[in-house]
Amino acid sequence: MLSPVNVSLESLNLITLAPMLIPIIGALMIIVIDLFKGGLDKTLYVVISILFLALDFGALLESAGVFTKDGIMLGAFNVMLIDGLAILSQFIIVLTSMLFIPLAMTHKRFHEFSYPEFFALFLFMISGFQFMVSSDNLILIFVGLETASLALYTLIAMHNRDKSFEAAVKYFTMGALAAGLFSFGSMVFYALTGSIEINQIAAVLEANNYADIGYVLVAVVFMLAAFSFKLSLVPFHTWAPDVYEGSSAAMAGYMSIVPKLAAFVVSMRLFEFLIHSGVVWLEIVLWILVVVTMTAANIWALVQTDVKRMLAYSSISHAGFVMAAILIGTTQSNSALFLYWILFSFTNLGSFSMLWMSRQKHLPDHQASDHSYDKFAGMIKTAPVAASIMALFMLSLAGLPPFALFWGKLYIISSAVTGGYTVLALIMALNSAIAGYYYIKLIVYMFMKEPVLGNDGHMYVSNATLALKSIIGFAAVGTIFAFVIINPLLEFITTFVYNSGY
Amino acid sequence: MLDHILSILIFFPALAAVFGFMIQKDSMRAYGVAVATIEFTLSLWLWFSFDNGVSGMQFMENIPLIPAFGINYILGVDGISLFIVILAAFFTMIGIASLTDTPNVKNMIITLLFLQMTMIGVFVALDGIVFYVFWELSLVPMLYIIGAWGGPMRIYASVKFFLYTFAGSLVMLVGMLFMAYFFYQATGVWSFAILDWYRLILPESFQLWLFAAFFVGFAIKVPMFPFHTWLPYAHGQAPTIGSVILAAILLKMGTYAFIRFSLPLFPDASAFFMYPIAVLAIIMIIYTAMVAYAQKDVKQVVAYSSVSHMGVIILGTFALNVEGISGSIFLMIAHGVVSGALFLLVGVIYDRRHTKMMDQFGGLAHVMPKYATIFGIMMMASVGMPLTINFVGEFLSLLGFYEQSHILTLLAGMAIIVGAIYMLAAYKKMFFGEVTKEENRNLPDVNKRELIALVPLVIITIWLGIYPKPILEPINNSVEAVVQLMHNKATSEDAKMRIPNVSGVVMTKTTSGEAH
Repeated sequence: MLSPVNVSLESLNLITLAPMLIPIIGALMIIVIDLFKGGLDKTLYVVISILFLALDFGALLESAGVFTKDGIMLGAFNVMLIDGLAILSQFIIVLTSMLFIPLAMTHKRFHEFSYPEFFALFLFMISGFQFMVSSDNLILIFVGLETASLALYTLIAMHNRDKSFEAAVKYFTMGALAAGLFSFGSMVFYALTGSIEINQIAAVLEANNYADIGYVLVAVVFMLAAFSFKLSLVPFHTWAPDVYEGSSAAMAGYMSIVPKLAAFVVSMRLFEFLIHSGVVWLEIVLWILVVVTMTAANIWALVQTDVKRMLAYSSISHAGFVMAAILIGTTQSNSALFLYWILFSFTNLGSFSMLWMSRQKHLPDHQASDHSYDKFAGMIKTAPVAASIMALFMLSLAGLPPFALFWGKLYIISSAVTGGYTVLALIMALNSAIAGYYYIKLIVYMFMKEPVLGNDGHMYVSNATLALKSIIGFAAVGTIFAFVIINPLLEFITTFVYNSGY
Repeated sequence: MLDHILSILIFFPALAAVFGFMIQKDSMRAYGVAVATIEFTLSLWLWFSFDNGVSGMQFMENIPLIPAFGINYILGVDGISLFIVILAAFFTMIGIASLTDTPNVKNMIITLLFLQMTMIGVFVALDGIVFYVFWELSLVPMLYIIGAWGGPMRIYASVKFFLYTFAGSLVMLVGMLFMAYFFYQATGVWSFAILDWYRLILPESFQLWLFAAFFVGFAIKVPMFPFHTWLPYAHGQAPTIGSVILAAILLKMGTYAFIRFSLPLFPDASAFFMYPIAVLAIIMIIYTAMVAYAQKDVKQVVAYSSVSHMGVIILGTFALNVEGISGSIFLMIAHGVVSGALFLLVGVIYDRRHTKMMDQFGGLAHVMPKYATIFGIMMMASVGMPLTINFVGEFLSLLGFYEQSHILTLLAGMAIIVGAIYMLAAYKKMFFGEVTKEENRNLPDVNKRELIALVPLVIITIWLGIYPKPILEPINNSVEAVVQLMHNKATSEDAKMRIPNVSGVVMTKTTSGEAH
């Protein structure tokens, strides 16, 4: 006979769920508003989303306060794990989302933003990512991942270009494959250890001293492949450029940051203990994966003729660069990952927003794609401020000091040096030099070529509104003056990462 | 104010450049000259307040930037960097004043002022990362100057320049990170401060690797053979002002960095690599001199001769004794003045004829006597004639290296003779004989604006050639301290032997000072 289940409400520690529930409530509210009165303007939904994200941010501040005081929190039948990694990554996710959502307020009308569902799905997606990063439980991670991904596929498909459907379907297919690999990997882990909690898996494997190393490797291969799809590591990257090309520039910028961060956090939780357990094979595979991703993506980026595709490959390369932090696996490198990603987020969002600002509804004849290099020729003569800001983002992405991303690169390469990965450090440095070429190429087009005839510079800002300009201005100021905030940021991140045991 | 004079020197031009966006286009040149003159006056004031007797750093500033990772904004100036800073301020002033009709002159002047910020920053930074920031940042204005105002192949030249130096300095960055890590291991704190690094004694095997990492960054910048291939393109395509700044200041960053970083940080490695580097330097001297002889374009002659003389600077630096290093620092100043002036002179004739091919000229001495005279003086200085500024530097550099190796010094000395050959040949082709081309008959002589730029350079060339002491003395004091530090830090027998102990000299100085 079944005994009644007795669970006290305190033991559930529901406060741990608050940050994820807030966007869900927001999403439901948007749907309800639409139910009562349809046809409302997008600005309403944008502001509502921002408000709920602000509430979400407040809840995160609350958890951060509790974490600094009491350490790691567990909740909701111990499936929620609120540690420093979870809090840090949620901060980045929510802040980036707050920067992203005003990009919907464009000058031109795009039909995806006229649907309130767009904003509801967006908020669902955020809560999915938040669940994903704040759990130790492979099932909850899976649920979060799928919630977020399914919402994301739809968001991509809503953009009004032919290629958007292709992009969404491609992303969906690859995502489904990754999901399959993930569940298979989890199954093997469960079969081996009888648990789906990562720390339990680690403990059991540790206890029997990796007796079934063969099966562990099988599970690791599946997991690695699943996450490589999500992180677009070479050779699992093939979807990325097409999906970026098909989705709107703003969405592409968002995709290059938030989903990857969530995947990084989960890989950090999963692979960290495996690397430290001395599974040599995994270290070598990761090393190769990191180096190939960085280098190959950089070389592909060199030959692109479209700026958005170039930025897509550059994002792949950056992902490889950051994956090195997980391979190194020291406190310094894990902190470097977060530092890098924060700095990367506003630089990359800034540069994609610049593309978004220049998005035309109809392409002129000489222009092959939305953002071909020719489009930017001679931009300094017709739109000097926009050209300078774009150049600023490119220099930052290239890792030129003192702009934002340089400090991230510096700290990651330093962690490679400290971690004993000398060759890797050199390869990372030289890859930055290769990457320099394609970022400079855009600057060459903008500053050193003559403008195409009949281009009066209006098209570079055709989509601009106050909201877009503020976001870009914010990103530009952050990129230039990053060195002011690096120290507090670094101390904050290092404390959080260290106190979570990574 | 003197407490922050170095920060003012760095950021005043940058601030002025930002405000420059508000200036109307036609008034921009006056604004640029005014700003550069103020900056030059400030740098002279720095020299005036500089205490010649002190060998260490002066006017130091220290502001924590990223203390958690040991990065601090540390500035300071000593005899080694002081005169290069003044030179940088001087050449920016002269460069802006002598700008001829340039399209988009406003953008050009704003870029030059930003460039000036980075140049001064490199020479006064005493923190590895701050140094690196300015070092890398200096690439961007130069990229724009070459790429936007250059010749037909300007884009290729500018991108090549950028990528070459960028790649090299990233390797150097890895070296810096290792250095900071070793410092962390030894002391438990992160630090990128150069003066902290000076106190660190590394085992020789580490030194060799780190030396190599730093070497890649510096050698590309100098540029040393075989990394020099970007320079002829950059010079060939750059506008006059770009070549002037590049030759006079930007190349000095590499040689300066050798003295600031490589020698005192890695004395054993410096002694170990002395011969290979000396051989490279001599190849560089002889090979580029021969290449210069084969050029038809007068600007390329000047460009290759500039590379050739950089070889002498390297040779002097790696003499590892006081004479050699002081001489090489003096030669940096001299080379800046002379090759800067030569590029300006080439610019003068290019503005009139829009060609730089020597066979288009001939007999110019009849048409432009003043121009021919100034060119002649500068050419003699470049060749290293006694009583000109270059002679002092070259002589001291070679004298320094003579103590290490007679034969190599002899080879290098031979190369200076080759230098005389190509320079005199070029001069003969351009200025002597009959006027062969009709277009050359009515060329106007140098005008007032050009004279304002060129006459001070001529005066400096001769003044410092005859009486180098005001510059040589502070340089010498600081170099003695560096050499002594190297001697004390050296661990291997070879290095102890190669790097002289100068403490005797310093001791007598201090005692005599006390006696007074």
